[in-house]
Amino acid sequence: MISDIFFYMDSSPPLLAERGPLAGKTIAIQSNLSVHGWPTNAGSIALERFVALEDASIIERVKKAGAVIKGSTYMSELGLGLAGDTGASALTENWVDMVMMTDTMGEPRVSASTMGVYGFKPSYGIVSRYGLIGLIPSMEGIGILAKSPEEIASLMETIVGRDDRDFSMPECEMPNFSQVHTPRDTMATLGVVPECVKTLETDESEAFNEALSTIKKAHFKIREVHIADFDLFRTVHNVIGAVEASSSSGKYDGVRYGHRTASAKNWNEMYIKSRAESFGLLIKTYLFQGAYYQFENYNAFVNACRIRRRLKEEVNELYKNVDALVFPARRQNMNASKASTIGEVYDAFALTLLANVAGQPSVVIPKFIINGKTDLGLQLVGPWLNDAQLLSIAAGLAHYIEGVK
Amino acid sequence: MKTDFEAVIGLEIHVQLNSATKMFCDCPNRTGDEPNQHICPICLWLPGAMPQFSHEVLEKAVRVGLVLNCNIQQQSAFDQKVYYYPDLPKGYQLSQAHQPLAKNGWLEIIGEDGQSKRLGIRKIHMEEDVAKLVHESDGRTPISLVDFNRAGVPLVEIVTEPDLRSPHEAMEFIRTLRTYIRYVGSSECSMEQGSLRVDANISIRPKSSDQLNTKVEIKNMNSIRNLGDAITYEIDRQIGSLISGDPIVIHTRLWDPEKRVTSPMRGKFEGPCVPDPSVPQIAIPDEFQNKMRCLLPEMPDQKAARFVNQYKLNYEEAVLMSSERDLSEYFEAVVNRKVRPRTAAHWIATQMVPALKERNQSLTDTPVTPDRLANLLTMVEEDKINANSAKEVMMRLFETDQTPQAIVEQWGFKQISEISELENLVDEVLSTHSSAVNNFRNGQAKALGFLVGQAMQASQGKANPKRLREILTKKLG
Repeated sequence: MISDIFFYMDSSPPLLAERGPLAGKTIAIQSNLSVHGWPTNAGSIALERFVALEDASIIERVKKAGAVIKGSTYMSELGLGLAGDTGASALTENWVDMVMMTDTMGEPRVSASTMGVYGFKPSYGIVSRYGLIGLIPSMEGIGILAKSPEEIASLMETIVGRDDRDFSMPECEMPNFSQVHTPRDTMATLGVVPECVKTLETDESEAFNEALSTIKKAHFKIREVHIADFDLFRTVHNVIGAVEASSSSGKYDGVRYGHRTASAKNWNEMYIKSRAESFGLLIKTYLFQGAYYQFENYNAFVNACRIRRRLKEEVNELYKNVDALVFPARRQNMNASKASTIGEVYDAFALTLLANVAGQPSVVIPKFIINGKTDLGLQLVGPWLNDAQLLSIAAGLAHYIEGVK
Repeated sequence: MKTDFEAVIGLEIHVQLNSATKMFCDCPNRTGDEPNQHICPICLWLPGAMPQFSHEVLEKAVRVGLVLNCNIQQQSAFDQKVYYYPDLPKGYQLSQAHQPLAKNGWLEIIGEDGQSKRLGIRKIHMEEDVAKLVHESDGRTPISLVDFNRAGVPLVEIVTEPDLRSPHEAMEFIRTLRTYIRYVGSSECSMEQGSLRVDANISIRPKSSDQLNTKVEIKNMNSIRNLGDAITYEIDRQIGSLISGDPIVIHTRLWDPEKRVTSPMRGKFEGPCVPDPSVPQIAIPDEFQNKMRCLLPEMPDQKAARFVNQYKLNYEEAVLMSSERDLSEYFEAVVNRKVRPRTAAHWIATQMVPALKERNQSLTDTPVTPDRLANLLTMVEEDKINANSAKEVMMRLFETDQTPQAIVEQWGFKQISEISELENLVDEVLSTHSSAVNNFRNGQAKALGFLVGQAMQASQGKANPKRLREILTKKLG
């Protein structure tokens, strides 16, 4: 049912543009991306009744490119994890051609592997975040779900690029997504990280190895590269993510929008009660962790920032020898949509959050690593700003698979 | 016993920058207007909005850093100072805790002994101002209103080293700092209007000791005089505590300008400071810094020295004419219109400045432009009108847009310098005041003054007083 998928649908008759690179395309977004006049609650009672005052910068761009924003789908509270998320269903049930959803720790990519579509997270900073109601500003960004790498590239071509309303974007040459349309016969070398593989169950790593043989048959090279502290990505994401989440959720006080408690003795009690009644247990736990690091264990946060820089440098070193890294997108028994504790959420995204910590582009190709009946998703992670090359590799692998079938 | 102690004072100074817009959005930087007129999704921190750091704010802040002799840091960054209060709806204040804009500066003041003393500045950082709370207790339920006009207004915080030893030094430091910052055009620096706010940290130690004891912070001084008085009060209070053996604990006290005492305020909550991921790092390359340095105006002490040299003002006149940038520019504009510099300085100091104050005007918005004042003073120098008439003409310059020449013509202020006309005046005065004439001839010199006065009055103030006196003396002699 459409109402089970869409939190809000645009009731105005769609103005189907005949011109523009995205003419005729339909897009679903999540309820945390601002569209003027739309209820925008980011899946949280803390944003109840909040109506966006203006379009997000990327909404402006896709509208101008001729696409129709069909509506917003249900999402996990503030975009953390996939509980209750219906973004991928909007695509697989053919309501829309593409979905834009926030990638906080790998949500679109894990979702893609579960639902058999392509999921993409661009390099940090190349897509404007203005109008995105986020949670972890230094790690999140808009991600894309679509049915082919080429479709992802066509949407990226429209939304990529500097925006004078998002000052956090770097002044650099942006990736050129037009070249993805003609997948090159690349002889790319993909790196396998044994420190990651050894965390998998036997059947999972067998499925992964099988996928690697397929990759080799498609004339890509495989090379072993090492990230000694692979397990630290998760810790770093958790500490920094919780701290940033605690800060960026400070504004939800129930004063100007969102749920406000029925009665309180003073403003302080009103804040506390409103917030207590607004947030779900998962977000509450996360914010509590963040406040703990901010107020009680700041050193842990400082260390996490330092380790994050080191991990980033280490991964960047690897790209001297390989064009991209290859991982499964998810674990067989870790169900992201059922994860109910912070620990379970991090279990479910343990393989995707590297790209968020390092700010690197990542794409997930479905139907590539099959373990029994479960699609684990083939995940590629590439160097910062090498988004187009990464999508080209994905397109190459996708075409190979299609050909084999 | 009191003299066995000395005070150790450090200041924390907030200066509101006078940029056209707020720090992170394009809202006008005008705090005094009707509440909540200058607000937008960014300064209200509505979901989805992102800060857009103003380059003008950076320039104004860098100028403050340069004029206070600081090292401008090549890299600086914003942090989130976390606390929850209704004046801060996003739960943190953007400030620079870990990587401030500027470090290690100094300012020289004249100490009580007349010697110059260099006082250290530890750091200068930028931060956003918070909303203003207006508490109303008239109704049945007291309410607090929030005015967001001030939310996001740019501030710099200047933190001194604990180098100050007396209320005098604190007051001098603030006076000098204010002059300098006003000179570079970064702020009006009015303590009364809140664009300059000074907190003082004070501790006491035995003389000749170099230890730093527990400090007490005092706040809420809204004038330089109150700053001096509050520090004096606090020093005496702490010495009293020491002598009577009461422990001094770290806390904050508020100055009460009515009762003229400090009293403890509720302990303030010190939140953590976390790096902000949304405002990019601020990189200041050397070339930008050098450019800003080149754009700094001539500072007051240099300017005073030049005024002595170039215009032959005496030292006091030169200091006065260079004390404010507007004043110095006005003075030079008048001088450039061929008025003798000392005449210009004298008239500006004794006539213009008081007249402006009376009318609540400034040198930049007064109708008495340098051009009009220069025309008037030229007529004085050319003996076309006398000083008394000139003062009258000047008052009329404030009310009409006529030229000084036209005013002189219309109101008949032209000075009578014709010898024949003056002789007629004198003859008339001599004949009607024969007793005064006799007194003078009998040796009473002051009768001459009376006769000059009578003749001036008869001319309705227009006679050339110098020539009048000459003719009178001649006729009497």
